[in-house]
Amino acid sequence: MISRVADHCFWLGRYLERAENTARVLPVTLSLTLDSELTARQSWRPVIVVSGVESSFVGRYGEAATEDGEQVQRYMTWERDNLTSIRSSINAVRENARSIREVLSLDVFQTVNELWLWMNGDAAEELWEADREGFYRHIRDACLLVLGTVRNTMLHDLPLDFLWMGVVLERASQTARILDVQFQNEHGLRLAQLPAADAVGAQSAVDDAVWLALLRACSGLEAFMQRFGGRVGGDAVARFLVLEPKHPRAIRFCVHEGRERFARIRPPEVAGLPGARSWQRLCALDDRLAATESLDDVHALLTHVVDEVADISNEIGGELLGYGAPAGQSQSQ
Amino acid sequence: MAEPALPADTPSVSGMRARGQLFAEYQPYPGTWDELFLGNGSPRMPFRDAIGAIGAATAEGFARQQALAERSLLAQGVTFSVYADDRGTEKIFPFCLVPRLISAEDWSHLDRGLSQRVRALGMFLDDIYGEQRILAEGIIPRELVLASKQYMPILRGIRPPGGVRVHISGIDLIRDPEGRFRVLEDNLRTPSGVSYVLENRAVTKRVLPRAFDLARVHRVDSYPAQLAETLRACAPSGQSDSSLVVLTPGPYNSAYFEHSFLARTMGVDLVQNVDLFVEDDRVWVRTTRGPRPVEVVYRRTDEAFLDPEVFRKDSMLGVPGIMRAWAKGNVTLANAPGNGVADDKAIYPFVHDMIRFYLSEEPILAQVDTYVCAREDDKNYVVEHLEELVVKAVDEAGGYGMLMGPQSTAKQRAEFKERVLAEPRKYIAQRRIELSTCPTWIEDQNVMAPRRVDLRPYVLTGPKGPWVLPGGLTRTALVEGSYVVNSSQGGGSKDTWVLK
Repeated sequence: MISRVADHCFWLGRYLERAENTARVLPVTLSLTLDSELTARQSWRPVIVVSGVESSFVGRYGEAATEDGEQVQRYMTWERDNLTSIRSSINAVRENARSIREVLSLDVFQTVNELWLWMNGDAAEELWEADREGFYRHIRDACLLVLGTVRNTMLHDLPLDFLWMGVVLERASQTARILDVQFQNEHGLRLAQLPAADAVGAQSAVDDAVWLALLRACSGLEAFMQRFGGRVGGDAVARFLVLEPKHPRAIRFCVHEGRERFARIRPPEVAGLPGARSWQRLCALDDRLAATESLDDVHALLTHVVDEVADISNEIGGELLGYGAPAGQSQSQ
Repeated sequence: MAEPALPADTPSVSGMRARGQLFAEYQPYPGTWDELFLGNGSPRMPFRDAIGAIGAATAEGFARQQALAERSLLAQGVTFSVYADDRGTEKIFPFCLVPRLISAEDWSHLDRGLSQRVRALGMFLDDIYGEQRILAEGIIPRELVLASKQYMPILRGIRPPGGVRVHISGIDLIRDPEGRFRVLEDNLRTPSGVSYVLENRAVTKRVLPRAFDLARVHRVDSYPAQLAETLRACAPSGQSDSSLVVLTPGPYNSAYFEHSFLARTMGVDLVQNVDLFVEDDRVWVRTTRGPRPVEVVYRRTDEAFLDPEVFRKDSMLGVPGIMRAWAKGNVTLANAPGNGVADDKAIYPFVHDMIRFYLSEEPILAQVDTYVCAREDDKNYVVEHLEELVVKAVDEAGGYGMLMGPQSTAKQRAEFKERVLAEPRKYIAQRRIELSTCPTWIEDQNVMAPRRVDLRPYVLTGPKGPWVLPGGLTRTALVEGSYVVNSSQGGGSKDTWVLK
């Protein structure tokens, strides 16, 4: 497979996952502000932080805007200058798809193209105004339709492996980021509420709302309940979203799936193929997650996941996607 | 009471019924051949059933079908990039759902004529880059060929691997008021548009299934398989599993859709210059498992940008060394470099002479009488009769660098006179032919009206000779009375039905 084409497949997967993920986080946050005792700032700021656009957002709209849910939603949904906005992600998905149409099935291209046309047309804006939840749901559905079309109309071969590896690595990283920010939030909240010893009941209600929202954002509510029998709590939710090997949005699952895709792309038993360093690091991360039993320092583990995924992506770029080649181009986060 | 006699130009009752309500008001231009209708408004005999089926729709019904067709093209991304827009806006080519039909009899004439012409042009190129017999015998003026900007003296003596130079050609035809097809221009470098032939067909079949079925039309979707087979047969090794790639200048090229379409439908890699490199005079593609050799390159990059070692040094789209690999016989380039000398507009008037010289046959296809300004007499005639002539620059295409004499202003004529006198070699002139028309849907008025069309059939040539795709791109002028059908000048396209 041509390295440049593999690069487009990989990033098509990443941007698609990013669009879907943002379309999960925004409506769940909206619902959280209605249910919990968190302030607007506590609810919306993490959205900006998770996406790594805090400084550009604050620089543009000011500190106070981080409490303004509408402003955050607009920025994370429509803003062209924000490379992590849903619109930017969908534009990038479509641009990557257009560059490698020849390896996609017509169905895949058409579902991507229709999403892109819709997102850049009047219908999307009208729906956003009229039915916010319906709008984000439409995006999630369209992204899942693309993924389903990929798996059910394309050869299960290298282009699909690269695309899927992009999806799961992006997802691992996104789940880690959301979880980490919520943990820090909760931590802050606990400290703030500590003096009021008699407010224990109220506090757990806040917690529940946050954790339930997080599970919903990951489509993991039912799966979590099945695993943990309805006992909602931060540690259990973290365990689930980090270590559950069978839920497709849990970090453990995603990293392991990435490892399996990588093994098809570059069979470890064949000598002399490029990609040795990427493979080693991916295996190390997968093994570490598999060996983790207690979540004493969630923050450290989640930070490690985010950093490792970024580094592994770079290694893959250098070893397999031709970033080192003359005039080779790379895409960045 | 006796029925009143019909006026002479009114269609008969059965003709009326056959054309249906949609075409009830349709009136071809006088003195112009219409592809579908007779001068009296009746459908041409072989097309009656199909026209009856299309014409059964109401104007509103047809407008809906037209809109459906356009939406489908947009959704599938059958589009071209609009350069000037930084948001990467894309548009579909204007498309008219009314097909252009060609009878089996007309097609058999075209098929023979096109094969003959393409064979002769290929032999001309072999000769020009070889012995130059045709010049030695004085059939074509030597200086006309050797002074062509498209003639590449450095390629002389190189035999292309596989022996074929014009693998893919697109020959532009027009039809005069007598209904005779004439060649307007040959495209032997990187002719484009074939993807629209296939996409237009897919849409038309979907939206007009009944008319399509009644018409009994030759299929066009075998083109990609034929193309792949033809190209592989021309590989240096001639093996049927030779490694073949399509080389594109990239997603920002206006024909990118087509490059990607051809790679996808042939099931081969679409590569950009950065994916290829040359080592030991062989071409390699960079893959995720290391370099892989390439034997055939269907290159859609212009020759001038193909290899900075040989052509333009500033090319960012080229593959350094690819011409060396070609000259050594290690890679097949389709089409071969240097072909431009044969589709030079100043050489065009001599194609009939080539056919007689190389094939000892009489030319089957007519062409348009042409004044070659490089000839003193022709030049003098042209500058005195600009208002009657169409003047074209020999090295421009796409409807650029052209004077439409009959529609020109005195100022434009004065300007062209100066240009022709300054560089006569650069210009040719032809009488304006009344291009044939085809009923075309006029969206803003919800009516059918005649619009002028041309036809670009595609010819594939392998070691065994030419094969003509039974179909082609019908381009249509969308402006009333216009003679310019080029897409770059606002023309549209139609599906072309070649009947069995």
